[in-house]
Amino acid sequence: MAEVLGIFEQAVLLALLRLREEAYGRAIRREVEARLARDVSAGAVHATLERLERKGLVVSDLGSGTPIRAGRPRRFYRLKPDGLRVLNQTRATVDSLWRGLKWPLKGFA
Amino acid sequence: MRTAPPDWADALLRFFVTPENFENVSGDLLEEYCDSVLPGSGQRRADRWYVRQVLGFVWRTTGLWAFLFGGAFVARTALDWLVPPVTFDLRSTVSTALGVAILLVASARTAWRSGSFLTGSIAGLTIAALGAVVSIGGAAALLAFRHDPATMLAIRHSGGLDEVFLLPLLLMLPGVLVGTVGGMIGAAMKRAVMA
Repeated sequence: MAEVLGIFEQAVLLALLRLREEAYGRAIRREVEARLARDVSAGAVHATLERLERKGLVVSDLGSGTPIRAGRPRRFYRLKPDGLRVLNQTRATVDSLWRGLKWPLKGFA
Repeated sequence: MRTAPPDWADALLRFFVTPENFENVSGDLLEEYCDSVLPGSGQRRADRWYVRQVLGFVWRTTGLWAFLFGGAFVARTALDWLVPPVTFDLRSTVSTALGVAILLVASARTAWRSGSFLTGSIAGLTIAALGAVVSIGGAAALLAFRHDPATMLAIRHSGGLDEVFLLPLLLMLPGVLVGTVGGMIGAAMKRAVMA
């Protein structure tokens, strides 16, 4: 059975794709906030990233610190091949659900 | 003028993030605090923003456990009010054991993540405090729906309303103690596994 990601997991993984080498916690949170058009807590993003890393869909490395961060390092995240595969599976499943329906939906409510 | 977030919030964050992630998570929050929140909102609002973010981490770790803890209390209260027993011994034993088990497992788990037994104490306090809100709210809702003479008699026999609305608050101290024990177990287990 195809593994299907939730909306928030998709938003985080797609943020990694868009941000490429700049995908660290704060940048990911801002990208997800912009795409979902709502406030997103740092806790929600970090919990999701930790879960995706445990599932083997992303990998992370520590970068260097900056003065504004009081020297604390950034953790940069990258998509693993399995992450890309699951994103593609998710998209295929969603496309399959919508196939044959005209969007936006009308006349059923 | 201070241009850093409250120290206590940073210290609290340390307990609810894994050691390997504390530096980068607190760095992300500090960067946003200094770079965009503080210049745009001022010290007080920026501090509130920082505290809210930290509480988000606390909530993610303890929220579910607090609902379980409070839910168990509400279930016991509902049983006592709606299906009053002859004696309360068995129910007291079961509900006390359940409450202790929830606190022990939750605090051991959080201490395992952070590696510090103190996390267990803080988790125990947080779960008991949030659980008190759930317990008191649940009991108040139950009372709003059921306050017929038979139920009111059952309430009096089961310890009265004082017990229902006061006990959850009094459980915060035992919550810290049980949480500390759970924290010690979790931290010791982590040390044993890592050794």
